Amino acid sequence: MKIAAFTKTYEERRVLDFPGGELLPGRIYAVIGANGSGKSTFARILAGALAPDKKTVHPDRFTVGYMPQRNYAFRMSARANILLGGKDPARAAELMEQLRIAHLADKRADRLSGGETARMALARLMMRRFDLVILDEPTAAMDMETTSLSEELILRYVKETGCALVLVTHSLQQARRVADEALYFHKGALLEQGPREVVLVDPVQPETRQFLEFYGL
Amino acid sequence: MGSPLAKAIQLIFSANAELLNILSVTAKMSLRSSVLALLLGLPLGIWLGACRFPGRGALLVLNRTLMGMPPVVCGLIFYMLFSGVGPFRHLKLLFTVDIMVMAQVVLITPIVIGNMETYVAGVAPAVRETARGLGLSRLRTFVLLCNECVYQIISAYLMAFARSIAEVGAVSMVGGAISWKTNVMTTAIMQHTNRGNFTLGVALGLILLTLSLLVNILVSVLQRRLSR
Ligand SMILES: Nc1ncnc2c1ncn2[C@@H]1O[C@H](COP(=O)(O)OP(=O)(O)O)[C@@H](O)[C@H]1O
Ligand SMILES: [Mg+2]
Repeated sequence: MKIAAFTKTYEERRVLDFPGGELLPGRIYAVIGANGSGKSTFARILAGALAPDKKTVHPDRFTVGYMPQRNYAFRMSARANILLGGKDPARAAELMEQLRIAHLADKRADRLSGGETARMALARLMMRRFDLVILDEPTAAMDMETTSLSEELILRYVKETGCALVLVTHSLQQARRVADEALYFHKGALLEQGPREVVLVDPVQPETRQFLEFYGL
Repeated sequence: MGSPLAKAIQLIFSANAELLNILSVTAKMSLRSSVLALLLGLPLGIWLGACRFPGRGALLVLNRTLMGMPPVVCGLIFYMLFSGVGPFRHLKLLFTVDIMVMAQVVLITPIVIGNMETYVAGVAPAVRETARGLGLSRLRTFVLLCNECVYQIISAYLMAFARSIAEVGAVSMVGGAISWKTNVMTTAIMQHTNRGNFTLGVALGLILLTLSLLVNILVSVLQRRLSR
């Protein structure tokens, strides 16, 4: 899947400059970087939820699933929310089981906690198959145990559906656990990209190195 | 027995013919004007809240201006249009309930629009982003958005209705407060007070206050259900 180059500018301020690239099916791409480095902007434009400066649409046609950083819980039960993603009730039950939210199925989704909402939203997205899936910090509000369950689910989903998955995360550990490749954003620029063994372990760019050192890694 | 309040309460429960007529004219006018305002204001409010287009800002300013329009100005405009020298005089609508409804629709629709616009503008971006992320169609997204607004719609309607029964400036000008025909609660209070007949005025005032209290209780219950 080819992604064209794009930029995003807010009031004369360039917040993102993406040079373009290619995403391969069955692979997980971690997007890392400091707060405000443009990760969410990248995710939203890639998902088609935000227009870039120049209307460069994806050159290839493919389906995109996207879980925003702030998930909207519709004023209905958690189960009904999940069934918005796809019709199969058995699949919904299975996902709720896997993410340990089966006991919340009949609860009003807009009354769930942050971590519960995130799990509901992840289940909702995984109800169907997409060619490309983009998750914006899906586990930021989750505890360690549910984070680990979610990571397992993400890995399984990619294996089963063969989709390409872009995972925005501020957790370097998470990127190392699940990603095949990593993209490091710094002040809106894609500073470094490549296999995780390079970018997340022995990066070329000094800024990336500094970022990793900050984590004590 | 002597106090105006006691007399007024007695009057309310005595099925006084004039009082009942005033209540029935008020109900007819307010139900019609508030339902029409809802039918007009709902789509406009949702449209203004959910869509971004050039000129939207100007429309919002216009709507806010209309929301603040003094009812007597609205009454004046309708009076001039439909009175003996106005372009619509042959319709013979002046001093009828119909023209009172029309004037009120102009006054109340902006309230519905403003109410819906604010709410929809608040939830629409998140709803749209989430729905798009799930690959839902535009129609499906719109239906979901409307579903999120249900309580807000009821609350906007109740506010429109409350404004309608309490409004006096426009309806007294275009309706003329004709007894047994176009006299509504507010105009009847003015009229009977001017004549020194406080009992009916106080009785109508009590009914208005009670209605307003009920509507506001309903609105606050809805708002509690709305809050997350
Ligand atoms: N609607 C907006 N208007 C102006 N600036 C914005 C807007 N959205 C994001 N930004 C700016 O763009 C930059 C990148 O934001 P974002 O992509 O959300 O960062 P990240 O997700 O990496 O923390 C930030 O400096 C942010 O302030
Ligand atoms: Mg972000």
